[in-house]
Amino acid sequence: MADRRYETLVLIHPDQGEPGQKELAVRIQKLIEEQGGTVSQVQEWGIRDLAHPIGKQRRAFYVLFEYRAAPKGLDEVQRTLKLMDPVLRFVSVRRPEGAPPAPPRPAKRERERDEADFEAGEFEGMGEGEV
Amino acid sequence: MPRDKSDRRSSAKGEGRAPRRRGMGRRKVCRFCADKSMLIDYKDARVLGSFLSERGKIIPGRITGTCARHQRQLTVAIKQARTVALLPYTTAYP
Repeated sequence: MADRRYETLVLIHPDQGEPGQKELAVRIQKLIEEQGGTVSQVQEWGIRDLAHPIGKQRRAFYVLFEYRAAPKGLDEVQRTLKLMDPVLRFVSVRRPEGAPPAPPRPAKRERERDEADFEAGEFEGMGEGEV
Repeated sequence: MPRDKSDRRSSAKGEGRAPRRRGMGRRKVCRFCADKSMLIDYKDARVLGSFLSERGKIIPGRITGTCARHQRQLTVAIKQARTVALLPYTTAYP
């Protein structure tokens, strides 16, 4: 079966502590490789505030894995991730073959600039109806 | 009254009927078509967030001007971003 490009973003429980989180990230990478995947990139985004609470947590440690694997391998990776208690949640996405690798996350301290960009992205004629 | 009639007649003929835009809005263009380098990615909460209402709801394409194709991709990306808490489902969490 042909390999496909995938990308999985994993949310790790914040109480794991820095070393625990990194260790888990390594474990997940090994897991992908065991399933015949080749990991091309691992991005640790660090602790981020969640947009909504998950499992009574308000923040989580984000790790992004980019890899090639067979569909069967992905199934197994996802099944195992579901069983990992410190994994709050994850999302796997198939990437098109020609897609550029995920650009590295800009440093965390760009909050202010982010906010400014939001303002520019407003739409006119936005009916401010009751929602 | 007679003026009304003449108006109706001219419109029936369909002459000089410019496509009228209601209100003073200008034409909205799909932001993703206008800028091809702008990719729809569930990880890019900043871009996706600008297509959410203040309450966190997805703004319909007819308001943002996003074309149907990109709106479809956009909704999928927003929903993916929500599962990993990059975007809210709604505001006001306990």
